[in-house]
Amino acid sequence: MRRSSPLAKLGKGVAVTALLAFTLFPVYFMLSTAFNERAGSGTDSLLPKHWTFEHFTHAMGDGHFGTYMVNSAIVTVATVVISCALALLGAVAMARFQFKLRTTMLVMILIVQMVPAEALVIPLFLQMKDLRMLNSLAGLSLVYIAFSLPFAIWNLRGFVAAVPVELEEAAYLDGCSWWQMFRRVLFPLVIPGLIATSAFSFVMAWEEFLFAVTFLNSDARMTVGAGLRQYFGQNVNDWGGLMAASTLVTIPVVVIFVLAQRRLGAGLVSGAVK
Amino acid sequence: MPSSRWRPWLLLAGPLLVIAGLLLYPIVRVTVLSFQQYGLKEIISGKPEFIGLDNYREALSGSYLWKTVLPNTVVFALVAVAGTIILGTLVALLLQQLGPTLRALVIGSALVAWALPAVTGTYVWVWVFDPDSGIFRRTLQSIGLLGPEGTNWFLDRMSFYAIAALNVIHHGFPFVAITIFAGLATVPEELHEAAKLDGASAWRRFWSVTMPLMRPVFAVVTILSTIWDFKVFTQIYLMPGGDGQNPEVLNLGVWSYIQAINRTEYGFGSAIAVLLTLLLLVITLFYVRAMFREDELR
Repeated sequence: MRRSSPLAKLGKGVAVTALLAFTLFPVYFMLSTAFNERAGSGTDSLLPKHWTFEHFTHAMGDGHFGTYMVNSAIVTVATVVISCALALLGAVAMARFQFKLRTTMLVMILIVQMVPAEALVIPLFLQMKDLRMLNSLAGLSLVYIAFSLPFAIWNLRGFVAAVPVELEEAAYLDGCSWWQMFRRVLFPLVIPGLIATSAFSFVMAWEEFLFAVTFLNSDARMTVGAGLRQYFGQNVNDWGGLMAASTLVTIPVVVIFVLAQRRLGAGLVSGAVK
Repeated sequence: MPSSRWRPWLLLAGPLLVIAGLLLYPIVRVTVLSFQQYGLKEIISGKPEFIGLDNYREALSGSYLWKTVLPNTVVFALVAVAGTIILGTLVALLLQQLGPTLRALVIGSALVAWALPAVTGTYVWVWVFDPDSGIFRRTLQSIGLLGPEGTNWFLDRMSFYAIAALNVIHHGFPFVAITIFAGLATVPEELHEAAKLDGASAWRRFWSVTMPLMRPVFAVVTILSTIWDFKVFTQIYLMPGGDGQNPEVLNLGVWSYIQAINRTEYGFGSAIAVLLTLLLLVITLFYVRAMFREDELR
Protein backbone atom coordinates (compact mmCIF):
# COMPACT_ATOMS: atom_id res chain seq x y z
CA MET A 1 0.00 0.00 0.00
CA ARG A 2 1.08 3.60 0.47
CA ARG A 3 4.23 4.42 2.41
CA SER A 4 3.89 7.52 4.51
CA SER A 5 6.30 9.85 6.24
CA PRO A 6 6.32 10.09 10.07
CA LEU A 7 4.73 13.54 9.78
CA ALA A 8 1.84 12.24 7.69
CA LYS A 9 1.42 9.40 10.16
CA LEU A 10 1.20 11.87 13.03
CA GLY A 11 -1.33 13.94 11.10
CA LYS A 12 -3.49 10.88 10.51
CA GLY A 13 -3.23 9.91 14.16
CA VAL A 14 -4.39 13.34 15.28
CA ALA A 15 -7.23 13.37 12.74
CA VAL A 16 -8.45 9.91 13.75
CA THR A 17 -8.28 10.75 17.47
CA ALA A 18 -10.18 14.02 17.04
CA LEU A 19 -12.78 12.32 14.87
CA LEU A 20 -13.34 9.44 17.29
CA ALA A 21 -13.65 11.91 20.18
CA PHE A 22 -16.27 13.97 18.33
CA THR A 23 -18.17 10.93 17.07
CA LEU A 24 -18.30 8.99 20.30
CA PHE A 25 -18.51 11.83 22.82
CA PRO A 26 -22.34 12.06 23.01
CA VAL A 27 -22.63 8.28 23.25
CA TYR A 28 -20.01 8.16 25.95
CA PHE A 29 -21.64 11.00 27.83
CA MET A 30 -25.04 9.32 27.59
CA LEU A 31 -23.64 6.08 29.01
CA SER A 32 -21.60 7.73 31.74
CA THR A 33 -24.66 9.70 32.90
CA ALA A 34 -26.86 6.61 32.77
CA PHE A 35 -24.47 4.72 35.06
CA ASN A 36 -23.70 7.65 37.35
CA GLU A 37 -25.35 7.58 40.75
CA ARG A 38 -24.98 11.35 41.08
CA ALA A 39 -26.10 12.20 37.53
CA GLY A 40 -27.35 15.75 37.19
CA SER A 41 -26.48 16.71 40.74
CA GLY A 42 -23.77 19.11 39.62
CA THR A 43 -21.04 17.05 41.25
CA ASP A 44 -21.00 14.27 38.67
CA SER A 45 -17.97 14.02 36.42
CA LEU A 46 -17.18 12.69 32.94
CA LEU A 47 -16.18 9.37 34.49
CA PRO A 48 -18.69 8.31 37.15
CA LYS A 49 -17.16 7.87 40.62
CA HIS A 50 -20.24 6.09 41.93
CA TRP A 51 -21.53 3.49 39.50
CA THR A 52 -25.13 2.30 39.61
CA PHE A 53 -27.68 0.30 37.64
CA GLU A 54 -30.45 2.05 39.48
CA HIS A 55 -31.39 4.37 36.60
CA PHE A 56 -31.93 1.37 34.34
CA THR A 57 -33.96 -0.67 36.81
CA HIS A 58 -35.97 2.44 37.59
CA ALA A 59 -36.67 3.13 33.91
CA MET A 60 -37.73 -0.44 33.23
CA GLY A 61 -39.52 -1.05 36.52
CA ASP A 62 -41.21 1.94 38.15
CA GLY A 63 -41.84 4.01 35.07
CA HIS A 64 -43.77 2.97 32.01
CA PHE A 65 -40.70 2.60 29.91
CA GLY A 66 -40.92 -1.19 29.73
CA THR A 67 -44.40 -0.84 28.20
CA TYR A 68 -43.09 1.73 25.71
CA MET A 69 -40.36 -0.68 24.62
CA VAL A 70 -42.87 -3.51 24.08
CA ASN A 71 -45.19 -1.19 22.13
CA SER A 72 -42.34 -0.01 19.92
CA ALA A 73 -41.32 -3.62 19.30
CA ILE A 74 -44.88 -4.50 18.18
CA VAL A 75 -45.17 -1.49 15.87
CA THR A 76 -41.69 -2.04 14.45
CA VAL A 77 -42.13 -5.75 13.68
CA ALA A 78 -45.53 -5.08 12.04
CA THR A 79 -44.04 -2.26 9.95
CA VAL A 80 -40.96 -4.18 8.83
CA VAL A 81 -42.79 -7.39 7.90
CA ILE A 82 -45.76 -5.82 6.11
CA SER A 83 -43.89 -3.03 4.34
CA CYS A 84 -41.11 -5.34 3.12
CA ALA A 85 -43.62 -7.89 1.80
CA LEU A 86 -45.65 -5.23 -0.03
CA ALA A 87 -42.53 -3.46 -1.28
CA LEU A 88 -41.05 -6.66 -2.71
CA LEU A 89 -44.20 -7.21 -4.78
CA GLY A 90 -44.10 -3.60 -5.96
CA ALA A 91 -40.39 -3.80 -6.72
CA VAL A 92 -40.84 -6.93 -8.83
CA ALA A 93 -43.60 -5.22 -10.82
CA MET A 94 -41.37 -2.19 -11.39
CA ALA A 95 -38.20 -4.07 -12.23
CA ARG A 96 -39.55 -7.01 -14.27
CA PHE A 97 -42.57 -5.79 -16.20
CA GLN A 98 -43.03 -3.21 -18.91
CA PHE A 99 -46.47 -1.68 -18.58
CA LYS A 100 -48.28 1.55 -19.25
CA LEU A 101 -47.73 4.24 -16.61
CA ARG A 102 -44.63 2.49 -15.26
CA THR A 103 -42.38 5.55 -15.47
CA THR A 104 -45.20 7.75 -14.20
CA MET A 105 -45.52 5.48 -11.21
CA LEU A 106 -41.77 5.49 -10.52
CA VAL A 107 -41.70 9.27 -10.57
CA MET A 108 -44.81 9.38 -8.36
CA ILE A 109 -43.11 7.10 -5.82
CA LEU A 110 -40.03 9.30 -5.87
CA ILE A 111 -42.05 12.46 -5.35
CA VAL A 112 -44.33 11.01 -2.67
CA GLN A 113 -41.20 10.02 -0.80
CA MET A 114 -40.11 13.65 -0.69
CA VAL A 115 -43.36 15.04 0.72
CA PRO A 116 -42.44 15.81 4.33
CA ALA A 117 -44.11 13.91 7.14
CA GLU A 118 -44.60 17.35 8.74
CA ALA A 119 -47.08 18.20 5.97
CA LEU A 120 -48.99 14.92 6.17
CA VAL A 121 -49.27 14.77 9.95
CA ILE A 122 -52.22 17.21 9.88
CA PRO A 123 -54.48 15.34 7.41
CA LEU A 124 -53.38 11.95 8.79
CA PHE A 125 -54.27 13.06 12.31
CA LEU A 126 -57.77 14.05 11.13
CA GLN A 127 -58.05 10.85 9.08
CA MET A 128 -57.08 8.65 12.04
CA LYS A 129 -59.51 10.58 14.19
CA ASP A 130 -62.33 9.91 11.69
CA LEU A 131 -61.38 6.22 11.59
CA ARG A 132 -61.19 6.12 15.41
CA MET A 133 -57.61 4.92 15.14
CA LEU A 134 -55.93 7.55 17.29
CA ASN A 135 -54.04 6.11 20.24
CA SER A 136 -53.90 2.75 18.48
CA LEU A 137 -50.74 0.82 17.64
CA ALA A 138 -52.42 -0.50 14.48
CA GLY A 139 -53.10 3.03 13.22
CA LEU A 140 -49.52 4.06 13.91
CA SER A 141 -48.14 0.95 12.17
CA LEU A 142 -50.31 1.67 9.13
CA VAL A 143 -48.80 5.14 8.79
CA TYR A 144 -45.26 3.78 9.22
CA ILE A 145 -45.91 1.14 6.56
CA ALA A 146 -47.08 3.84 4.15
CA PHE A 147 -44.04 6.00 4.87
CA SER A 148 -41.49 3.22 4.46
CA LEU A 149 -43.07 1.80 1.28
CA PRO A 150 -41.81 4.26 -1.36
CA PHE A 151 -38.19 4.01 -0.25
CA ALA A 152 -38.47 0.24 0.20
CA ILE A 153 -39.86 -0.23 -3.33
CA TRP A 154 -37.22 2.07 -4.75
CA ASN A 155 -34.43 0.29 -2.90
CA LEU A 156 -35.60 -3.28 -3.62
CA ARG A 157 -36.17 -2.47 -7.27
CA GLY A 158 -32.41 -2.27 -7.77
CA PHE A 159 -31.84 -5.63 -6.12
CA VAL A 160 -34.56 -7.33 -8.21
CA ALA A 161 -33.18 -5.81 -11.42
CA ALA A 162 -29.74 -7.22 -10.56
CA VAL A 163 -31.05 -10.81 -10.68
CA PRO A 164 -30.28 -12.18 -14.19
CA VAL A 165 -33.43 -12.74 -16.27
CA GLU A 166 -31.83 -15.96 -17.59
CA LEU A 167 -32.32 -17.58 -14.17
CA GLU A 168 -36.05 -16.87 -14.37
CA GLU A 169 -36.26 -18.23 -17.89
CA ALA A 170 -34.45 -21.39 -16.82
CA ALA A 171 -37.05 -21.85 -14.07
CA TYR A 172 -39.89 -21.57 -16.62
CA LEU A 173 -38.13 -24.12 -18.86
CA ASP A 174 -38.08 -26.47 -15.86
CA GLY A 175 -41.85 -26.10 -15.72
CA CYS A 176 -42.18 -23.63 -12.83
CA SER A 177 -45.21 -21.37 -12.61
CA TRP A 178 -44.61 -17.66 -12.00
CA TRP A 179 -45.18 -17.97 -8.27
CA GLN A 180 -42.92 -21.02 -8.02
CA MET A 181 -40.21 -19.11 -9.86
CA PHE A 182 -40.75 -16.15 -7.50
CA ARG A 183 -40.45 -18.33 -4.39
CA ARG A 184 -37.55 -20.50 -5.51
CA VAL A 185 -35.44 -18.19 -7.69
CA LEU A 186 -36.16 -14.52 -7.17
CA PHE A 187 -36.90 -14.46 -3.45
CA PRO A 188 -33.71 -16.18 -2.21
CA LEU A 189 -31.60 -13.91 -4.41
CA VAL A 190 -33.06 -10.63 -3.12
CA ILE A 191 -32.66 -11.51 0.57
CA PRO A 192 -29.63 -9.17 0.90
CA GLY A 193 -31.83 -6.36 -0.42
CA LEU A 194 -34.56 -7.28 2.02
CA ILE A 195 -32.06 -7.13 4.88
CA ALA A 196 -30.96 -3.62 3.92
CA THR A 197 -34.55 -2.46 3.39
CA SER A 198 -35.81 -3.90 6.66
CA ALA A 199 -32.90 -2.29 8.52
CA PHE A 200 -34.07 1.12 7.25
CA SER A 201 -37.73 0.59 8.10
CA PHE A 202 -36.83 -0.96 11.45
CA VAL A 203 -34.90 2.14 12.47
CA MET A 204 -37.60 4.50 11.16
CA ALA A 205 -40.42 2.74 13.02
CA TRP A 206 -38.45 2.13 16.21
CA GLU A 207 -37.46 5.71 16.89
CA GLU A 208 -40.20 7.67 15.07
CA PHE A 209 -41.27 10.72 17.02
CA LEU A 210 -43.62 13.02 15.08
CA PHE A 211 -46.56 10.65 14.52
CA ALA A 212 -46.08 8.86 17.81
CA VAL A 213 -46.29 12.09 19.79
CA THR A 214 -49.30 13.27 17.76
CA PHE A 215 -51.35 10.07 17.67
CA LEU A 216 -50.66 8.46 21.04
CA ASN A 217 -51.94 9.86 24.31
CA SER A 218 -51.90 7.11 26.90
CA ASP A 219 -49.05 5.39 28.74
CA ALA A 220 -50.45 2.00 27.76
CA ARG A 221 -50.03 2.77 24.03
CA MET A 222 -46.95 5.02 24.00
CA THR A 223 -43.88 4.01 21.97
CA VAL A 224 -40.29 4.90 22.89
CA GLY A 225 -40.00 7.93 20.59
CA ALA A 226 -42.87 9.78 22.25
CA GLY A 227 -42.32 8.00 25.58
CA LEU A 228 -38.93 9.61 26.19
CA ARG A 229 -40.58 13.00 26.07
CA GLN A 230 -43.15 11.85 28.59
CA TYR A 231 -40.29 10.75 30.78
CA PHE A 232 -38.51 14.08 30.40
CA GLY A 233 -41.61 16.04 31.32
CA GLN A 234 -42.34 14.07 34.45
CA ASN A 235 -38.82 14.02 35.89
CA VAL A 236 -37.34 17.33 34.82
CA ASN A 237 -33.97 16.90 36.49
CA ASP A 238 -33.67 13.13 36.32
CA TRP A 239 -30.87 13.14 33.77
CA GLY A 240 -29.66 9.73 34.91
CA GLY A 241 -33.07 8.19 34.25
CA LEU A 242 -33.48 9.96 30.90
CA MET A 243 -30.01 8.88 29.74
CA ALA A 244 -30.63 5.29 30.90
CA ALA A 245 -33.89 5.24 28.93
CA SER A 246 -32.10 6.81 25.94
CA THR A 247 -29.47 4.08 26.12
CA LEU A 248 -32.17 1.41 26.05
CA VAL A 249 -33.73 3.04 22.96
CA THR A 250 -30.36 3.24 21.22
CA ILE A 251 -29.15 -0.35 21.73
CA PRO A 252 -31.47 -2.07 19.18
CA VAL A 253 -30.60 0.53 16.53
CA VAL A 254 -26.86 0.07 17.06
CA VAL A 255 -27.28 -3.70 16.82
CA ILE A 256 -29.23 -3.40 13.54
CA PHE A 257 -26.71 -0.97 12.06
CA VAL A 258 -23.76 -3.17 12.92
CA LEU A 259 -25.52 -6.26 11.52
CA ALA A 260 -26.58 -4.54 8.28
CA GLN A 261 -23.39 -2.47 8.09
CA ARG A 262 -22.07 -3.49 4.69
CA ARG A 263 -25.44 -3.13 3.00
CA LEU A 264 -26.46 0.32 4.22
CA GLY A 265 -24.61 2.54 1.75
CA ALA A 266 -24.21 -0.02 -1.03
CA GLY A 267 -27.70 0.34 -2.54
CA LEU A 268 -27.44 4.11 -2.90
CA VAL A 269 -23.96 4.00 -4.38
CA SER A 270 -24.81 1.30 -6.92
CA GLY A 271 -27.76 3.47 -7.88
CA ALA A 272 -25.65 6.57 -8.35
CA VAL A 273 -22.52 5.06 -9.92
CA LYS A 274 -22.99 2.80 -12.88
CA MET B 1 -47.70 -16.21 -20.01
CA PRO B 2 -51.29 -15.20 -20.66
CA SER B 3 -51.76 -13.45 -17.32
CA SER B 4 -48.59 -11.39 -17.54
CA ARG B 5 -50.52 -8.33 -18.72
CA TRP B 6 -52.34 -8.11 -15.41
CA ARG B 7 -49.58 -9.45 -13.20
CA PRO B 8 -47.78 -6.12 -12.60
CA TRP B 9 -51.06 -4.56 -11.46
CA LEU B 10 -51.79 -7.54 -9.24
CA LEU B 11 -48.38 -7.14 -7.64
CA LEU B 12 -48.83 -3.39 -7.31
CA ALA B 13 -52.35 -3.54 -5.86
CA GLY B 14 -51.25 -3.79 -2.20
CA PRO B 15 -48.53 -1.15 -2.19
CA LEU B 16 -50.58 1.22 -4.36
CA LEU B 17 -53.60 0.93 -2.10
CA VAL B 18 -51.55 1.85 0.98
CA ILE B 19 -49.72 4.67 -0.80
CA ALA B 20 -52.97 6.06 -2.24
CA GLY B 21 -54.85 5.92 1.06
CA LEU B 22 -52.16 7.11 3.42
CA LEU B 23 -49.91 9.32 1.30
CA LEU B 24 -51.73 10.58 -1.80
CA TYR B 25 -55.13 11.22 -0.21
CA PRO B 26 -53.56 13.14 2.71
CA ILE B 27 -51.58 15.24 0.20
CA VAL B 28 -54.87 16.19 -1.47
CA ARG B 29 -56.55 16.75 1.89
CA VAL B 30 -53.83 19.02 3.28
CA THR B 31 -54.07 21.10 0.11
CA VAL B 32 -57.86 21.39 0.47
CA LEU B 33 -57.50 22.21 4.19
CA SER B 34 -55.09 25.00 3.37
CA PHE B 35 -57.91 26.84 1.58
CA GLN B 36 -60.33 26.38 4.47
CA GLN B 37 -61.12 27.93 7.78
CA TYR B 38 -60.81 24.76 9.84
CA GLY B 39 -60.47 25.24 13.58
CA LEU B 40 -62.15 24.01 16.73
CA LYS B 41 -65.46 25.60 15.75
CA GLU B 42 -65.50 23.94 12.33
CA ILE B 43 -64.60 20.54 13.81
CA ILE B 44 -67.62 20.69 16.07
CA SER B 45 -70.00 21.94 13.39
CA GLY B 46 -68.40 19.66 10.78
CA LYS B 47 -68.71 22.46 8.23
CA PRO B 48 -65.35 23.91 7.22
CA GLU B 49 -65.63 27.11 5.27
CA PHE B 50 -63.66 27.81 2.10
CA ILE B 51 -61.79 31.08 2.49
CA GLY B 52 -59.65 31.05 -0.64
CA LEU B 53 -56.11 32.27 -0.16
CA ASP B 54 -56.66 33.84 3.28
CA ASN B 55 -54.47 31.31 5.13
CA TYR B 56 -51.64 31.89 2.66
CA ARG B 57 -52.09 35.63 2.90
CA GLU B 58 -51.87 35.41 6.68
CA ALA B 59 -48.75 33.25 6.54
CA LEU B 60 -46.98 35.29 3.89
CA SER B 61 -47.80 38.74 5.25
CA GLY B 62 -46.13 40.17 8.30
CA SER B 63 -42.51 39.83 9.25
CA TYR B 64 -42.67 36.58 11.26
CA LEU B 65 -42.28 34.28 8.24
CA TRP B 66 -39.66 36.42 6.51
CA LYS B 67 -37.59 37.53 9.49
CA THR B 68 -37.82 34.50 11.76
CA VAL B 69 -39.17 31.26 10.32
CA LEU B 70 -37.68 31.32 6.83
CA PRO B 71 -34.17 32.33 7.95
CA ASN B 72 -34.34 29.67 10.69
CA THR B 73 -35.28 27.09 8.04
CA VAL B 74 -33.05 28.10 5.13
CA VAL B 75 -29.90 29.37 6.85
CA PHE B 76 -29.91 26.39 9.20
CA ALA B 77 -30.32 23.95 6.27
CA LEU B 78 -27.47 25.58 4.32
CA VAL B 79 -25.10 25.51 7.31
CA ALA B 80 -26.06 21.97 8.30
CA VAL B 81 -25.77 20.62 4.73
CA ALA B 82 -22.41 22.31 4.16
CA GLY B 83 -21.13 21.01 7.51
CA THR B 84 -22.40 17.48 6.87
CA ILE B 85 -20.99 17.25 3.33
CA ILE B 86 -17.60 18.78 4.16
CA LEU B 87 -17.07 16.67 7.28
CA GLY B 88 -18.39 13.54 5.53
CA THR B 89 -16.07 14.05 2.54
CA LEU B 90 -13.04 14.66 4.75
CA VAL B 91 -13.81 11.51 6.74
CA ALA B 92 -14.25 9.50 3.51
CA LEU B 93 -10.87 10.74 2.22
CA LEU B 94 -9.29 9.96 5.60
CA LEU B 95 -10.76 6.44 5.52
CA GLN B 96 -8.97 5.84 2.21
CA GLN B 97 -5.64 6.63 3.85
CA LEU B 98 -6.09 4.31 6.82
CA GLY B 99 -5.09 0.70 7.37
CA PRO B 100 -7.78 -1.94 7.93
CA THR B 101 -7.83 -1.72 11.76
CA LEU B 102 -8.15 2.05 12.06
CA ARG B 103 -10.59 2.06 9.18
CA ALA B 104 -12.84 -0.45 10.94
CA LEU B 105 -12.59 1.62 14.13
CA VAL B 106 -13.61 4.87 12.38
CA ILE B 107 -16.45 3.20 10.43
CA GLY B 108 -17.65 1.50 13.59
CA SER B 109 -17.78 4.74 15.56
CA ALA B 110 -19.47 6.51 12.65
CA LEU B 111 -22.13 3.78 12.60
CA VAL B 112 -22.75 4.30 16.31
CA ALA B 113 -23.19 8.07 15.78
CA TRP B 114 -25.52 7.38 12.86
CA ALA B 115 -27.50 4.85 14.91
CA LEU B 116 -28.10 7.26 17.78
CA PRO B 117 -31.84 7.94 17.34
CA ALA B 118 -32.84 11.57 16.69
CA VAL B 119 -34.82 11.66 19.92
CA THR B 120 -32.07 10.31 22.18
CA GLY B 121 -29.35 12.20 20.30
CA THR B 122 -31.24 15.45 20.85
CA TYR B 123 -31.68 14.77 24.56
CA VAL B 124 -27.97 14.04 24.91
CA TRP B 125 -27.03 17.39 23.34
CA VAL B 126 -29.66 19.18 25.45
CA TRP B 127 -28.04 17.58 28.49
CA VAL B 128 -24.53 18.56 27.33
CA PHE B 129 -25.66 22.19 27.05
CA ASP B 130 -27.99 22.18 30.06
CA PRO B 131 -27.77 25.72 31.53
CA ASP B 132 -27.69 24.47 35.14
CA SER B 133 -25.45 21.43 35.34
CA GLY B 134 -24.52 20.53 31.75
CA ILE B 135 -20.92 19.51 31.07
CA PHE B 136 -20.42 22.46 28.68
CA ARG B 137 -21.26 25.03 31.35
CA ARG B 138 -19.13 23.31 33.98
CA THR B 139 -16.17 23.02 31.60
CA LEU B 140 -16.36 26.68 30.61
CA GLN B 141 -16.63 27.69 34.27
CA SER B 142 -13.73 25.53 35.38
CA ILE B 143 -11.41 27.13 32.81
CA GLY B 144 -12.74 30.59 33.66
CA LEU B 145 -14.50 31.38 30.36
CA LEU B 146 -17.93 31.67 31.98
CA GLY B 147 -18.87 33.49 35.17
CA PRO B 148 -20.84 31.90 38.02
CA GLU B 149 -24.14 33.31 36.67
CA GLY B 150 -24.00 31.07 33.58
CA THR B 151 -25.94 31.43 30.32
CA ASN B 152 -28.99 29.74 28.84
CA TRP B 153 -27.88 28.93 25.29
CA PHE B 154 -31.34 27.76 24.32
CA LEU B 155 -32.90 31.21 24.65
CA ASP B 156 -30.84 32.88 21.94
CA ARG B 157 -31.75 31.98 18.36
CA MET B 158 -28.16 31.79 17.12
CA SER B 159 -26.84 29.55 19.88
CA PHE B 160 -30.04 27.46 19.78
CA TYR B 161 -29.46 26.71 16.10
CA ALA B 162 -25.72 26.25 16.62
CA ILE B 163 -26.54 23.42 19.03
CA ALA B 164 -29.12 22.04 16.59
CA ALA B 165 -26.53 22.15 13.77
CA LEU B 166 -24.01 20.30 15.92
CA ASN B 167 -26.66 17.66 16.61
CA VAL B 168 -27.74 17.31 12.96
CA ILE B 169 -24.18 17.27 11.57
CA HIS B 170 -23.10 14.68 14.15
CA HIS B 171 -26.07 12.50 13.20
CA GLY B 172 -25.84 13.08 9.43
CA PHE B 173 -22.15 12.98 8.49
CA PRO B 174 -21.71 9.18 8.87
CA PHE B 175 -24.19 8.50 6.05
CA VAL B 176 -22.33 10.93 3.78
CA ALA B 177 -18.89 9.59 4.79
CA ILE B 178 -19.81 5.93 4.26
CA THR B 179 -21.61 6.58 0.97
CA ILE B 180 -18.77 8.71 -0.45
CA PHE B 181 -16.17 6.23 0.79
CA ALA B 182 -18.00 3.42 -1.03
CA GLY B 183 -18.15 5.62 -4.13
CA LEU B 184 -14.43 6.45 -3.95
CA ALA B 185 -13.65 2.75 -4.27
CA THR B 186 -15.08 2.92 -7.81
CA VAL B 187 -12.61 5.62 -8.93
CA PRO B 188 -9.82 3.81 -10.84
CA GLU B 189 -6.48 3.99 -9.04
CA GLU B 190 -4.63 4.43 -12.38
CA LEU B 191 -6.16 7.85 -12.93
CA HIS B 192 -4.69 9.05 -9.65
CA GLU B 193 -1.32 7.48 -10.43
CA ALA B 194 -1.25 9.18 -13.84
CA ALA B 195 -2.15 12.55 -12.35
CA LYS B 196 0.53 12.06 -9.70
CA LEU B 197 3.15 11.37 -12.39
CA ASP B 198 2.08 14.58 -14.09
CA GLY B 199 2.90 16.34 -10.82
CA ALA B 200 -0.64 17.16 -9.68
CA SER B 201 -1.00 17.96 -5.97
CA ALA B 202 -3.45 16.07 -3.73
CA TRP B 203 -5.78 19.10 -3.80
CA ARG B 204 -5.63 19.27 -7.61
CA ARG B 205 -6.13 15.49 -7.95
CA PHE B 206 -9.23 15.68 -5.76
CA TRP B 207 -10.86 18.46 -7.83
CA SER B 208 -9.73 17.27 -11.29
CA VAL B 209 -9.93 13.47 -10.98
CA THR B 210 -12.08 12.43 -8.01
CA MET B 211 -14.72 15.14 -8.13
CA PRO B 212 -15.87 14.78 -11.77
CA LEU B 213 -16.22 10.99 -11.44
CA MET B 214 -17.96 11.28 -8.07
CA ARG B 215 -20.40 13.98 -9.19
CA PRO B 216 -23.49 11.70 -9.12
CA VAL B 217 -22.69 10.44 -5.61
CA PHE B 218 -22.17 13.98 -4.36
CA ALA B 219 -25.41 15.04 -6.03
CA VAL B 220 -27.39 12.31 -4.27
CA VAL B 221 -25.95 12.91 -0.79
CA THR B 222 -26.21 16.70 -1.11
CA ILE B 223 -29.82 16.67 -2.24
CA LEU B 224 -30.87 14.08 0.35
CA SER B 225 -29.15 16.06 3.12
CA THR B 226 -30.78 19.26 1.87
CA ILE B 227 -34.24 17.69 1.99
CA TRP B 228 -33.64 16.24 5.46
CA ASP B 229 -32.23 19.46 6.91
CA PHE B 230 -34.98 21.68 5.49
CA LYS B 231 -37.61 19.74 7.40
CA VAL B 232 -35.80 18.85 10.63
CA PHE B 233 -38.51 18.52 13.25
CA THR B 234 -37.61 16.24 16.14
CA GLN B 235 -34.27 17.95 16.77
CA ILE B 236 -35.92 21.38 17.06
CA TYR B 237 -39.20 20.42 18.77
CA LEU B 238 -37.44 18.55 21.59
CA MET B 239 -35.02 21.35 22.45
CA PRO B 240 -36.05 23.74 25.26
CA GLY B 241 -38.47 26.27 23.77
CA GLY B 242 -38.65 24.42 20.44
CA ASP B 243 -42.17 23.15 21.12
CA GLY B 244 -43.63 26.62 20.63
CA GLN B 245 -42.75 28.32 23.91
CA ASN B 246 -40.07 30.39 22.19
CA PRO B 247 -41.45 31.72 18.85
CA GLU B 248 -37.96 32.96 17.91
CA VAL B 249 -36.65 29.45 17.27
CA LEU B 250 -39.40 27.86 15.12
CA ASN B 251 -38.79 26.64 11.57
CA LEU B 252 -41.44 25.99 8.90
CA GLY B 253 -42.19 22.42 9.94
CA VAL B 254 -42.48 23.14 13.65
CA TRP B 255 -44.50 26.32 13.07
CA SER B 256 -47.00 24.41 10.92
CA TYR B 257 -47.26 21.66 13.53
CA ILE B 258 -47.82 24.02 16.43
CA GLN B 259 -50.48 26.01 14.58
CA ALA B 260 -52.35 22.88 13.54
CA ILE B 261 -51.98 20.36 16.34
CA ASN B 262 -51.34 22.50 19.44
CA ARG B 263 -53.58 25.45 18.49
CA THR B 264 -56.16 23.47 16.43
CA GLU B 265 -55.80 25.87 13.49
CA TYR B 266 -55.77 23.04 10.94
CA GLY B 267 -56.38 25.32 7.95
CA PHE B 268 -53.60 27.78 8.75
CA GLY B 269 -51.18 25.00 9.75
CA SER B 270 -51.94 23.23 6.47
CA ALA B 271 -51.13 26.36 4.45
CA ILE B 272 -47.68 26.51 6.08
CA ALA B 273 -47.25 22.77 5.46
CA VAL B 274 -48.07 23.28 1.78
CA LEU B 275 -45.50 26.08 1.56
CA LEU B 276 -42.86 23.75 3.08
CA THR B 277 -43.84 21.00 0.65
CA LEU B 278 -43.56 23.32 -2.35
CA LEU B 279 -40.10 24.35 -1.20
CA LEU B 280 -39.06 20.70 -0.92
CA LEU B 281 -40.71 19.85 -4.24
CA VAL B 282 -38.48 22.33 -6.03
CA ILE B 283 -35.46 20.58 -4.50
CA THR B 284 -36.94 17.18 -5.41
CA LEU B 285 -37.28 18.21 -9.05
CA PHE B 286 -33.52 18.71 -9.15
CA TYR B 287 -33.18 15.23 -7.64
CA VAL B 288 -35.43 13.62 -10.28
CA ARG B 289 -33.58 15.47 -13.05
CA ALA B 290 -30.22 14.29 -11.70
CA MET B 291 -31.50 10.71 -11.58
CA PHE B 292 -32.83 10.91 -15.14
CA ARG B 293 -29.49 12.22 -16.31
CA GLU B 294 -27.82 9.16 -14.83
CA ASP B 295 -30.32 6.90 -16.68
CA GLU B 296 -31.50 5.55 -13.33
CA LEU B 297 -35.12 5.50 -14.44
CA ARG B 298 -34.80 3.44 -17.59
